[in-house]
Amino acid sequence: MRLTLQMLISHGRMARRIGLGPESRINILRNILTGLVRHERIETTWARADEVRFYAEKLVDYAKKGDTDEKAMKMACFWLTEKDLVPKLFKVIAPRFESQPGGYTRMARIPNRNNLDRAKMAVLEYKGNPFPSLYPVRKENELTLINQLLKGFREERAQQLAAKA
Amino acid sequence: MVTRTVCQVFQHRFASSAAALRPSPAEVCSQRNAVFSREQARQRALYPRVEKIEVSMQGPGLVGTTLIMNRGMSTPLSCARHLTEHHMNSSALALVDGEPWPLHKPLTHSCSLTLLTFKDSDPTLVNQAYWRSCAALLGQVLETAFKDDYTVELLSTPEVPVISGAFCCDVVLDAQLDSWTPSEESLRSLTRGAQQLIHQDLAWEPLEVTSSVALEVFSHSRCKQEEVEQKASQSPKDTVMLYRCGDHVLLTGGPLVARTGLCSQYEVTALHSLGQGPWGHHRRAQGLSLPLQLQAHHTVWRKLRQRAEKLVDVPGPEEVKPPSPPDSVQPPTNQ
Repeated sequence: MRLTLQMLISHGRMARRIGLGPESRINILRNILTGLVRHERIETTWARADEVRFYAEKLVDYAKKGDTDEKAMKMACFWLTEKDLVPKLFKVIAPRFESQPGGYTRMARIPNRNNLDRAKMAVLEYKGNPFPSLYPVRKENELTLINQLLKGFREERAQQLAAKA
Repeated sequence: MVTRTVCQVFQHRFASSAAALRPSPAEVCSQRNAVFSREQARQRALYPRVEKIEVSMQGPGLVGTTLIMNRGMSTPLSCARHLTEHHMNSSALALVDGEPWPLHKPLTHSCSLTLLTFKDSDPTLVNQAYWRSCAALLGQVLETAFKDDYTVELLSTPEVPVISGAFCCDVVLDAQLDSWTPSEESLRSLTRGAQQLIHQDLAWEPLEVTSSVALEVFSHSRCKQEEVEQKASQSPKDTVMLYRCGDHVLLTGGPLVARTGLCSQYEVTALHSLGQGPWGHHRRAQGLSLPLQLQAHHTVWRKLRQRAEKLVDVPGPEEVKPPSPPDSVQPPTNQ
């Protein structure tokens, strides 16, 4: 092929190059996706987690079609290398996201890997997993003075609305 | 006609002599102050030698800290000063062996101490004490707001829960002011008076006195003396807790917070008439306040203030309420 300058500069190219080639990339992502379906929260490099996110959400969309669907079953069998996870996908994960149209995964950055490569790491999880949340939930104290005053205010307004109706 | 002028002359003469017989508010104030200081000095003189006590601190980050303090001289505030400036500024009330203890009251025995702030996980005690302190401040402002010709009688401030939206102070004004309704300007001037007291950052000094001394303190006010007798009969040791803020001596039903500087937003919202009572024309002054650590945005403050203008219904004392019927309407559940 023509060795142009554009070949060496990759400005604006969105496709990531993982592993040895496109087939290797798919295999790597397949393994990561299998691990995600098994454990529901995994830790990998940020780039791989970002790539897997797209495939994880597409897999859940396919699984929502139901395990009687031919295409859905083929996809699940291809993407999940450990075949005992196929029923888990259709019976546990898909019903969890029945009411949601998208956004089934969450990604959070964690400190860089301690090796020589100091790689950018991330945690990828399916929402609704049984583990404690990644970001601590700050519960506002109901009993502080200002919250008690606001609570009284809200109750009175609700009473007035109920009396008017 | 001659009799009418004679009657008018007698009326004027007697009115001025009646006013002269009644001591001026400044004299009453200084007399109460003198008795309070005398009693305070006497109680301090009970500990001539310095004796040490051990105070073990409880609270987040303080478990295991033991402070060696002086008996009868050290207060929970001095314990807080040994810790950090944050503890000193944020603590409003203390718990000594589980009992609510005002911050300026001296410790008398080795105990466990917890400093309470407005942002604890359970600040109900602090909230109640703060509400009581704001009501006491309102009473003090009302006492000094009017001219010397008019008497102001503070009645016992009712215990209002925080959720009702405003603290109240029951007061009976002079008979000449029965037809007076406060305008916006007068409420604003009362607020300004309260803000001045807050700015001065006066401490509420507590003092536990016997009922005889308390009766002497309030010798000019019959209704305060009745209140003293009522409170003394309720306490197990026949003692009453008096508080002094600046120049005024107050009587309240529970512990107050440390100092006036802890309040930041303070407004006197309304002065409602309650009708005739045993002491005259009863009025209820209401206000709203928030502490320094929990300030509200002005939009939120405006809404809360609007609510605080409405009359607060104080539940009657010791009413034997029949148990509510089991098939009452269920309140709407929170979403």
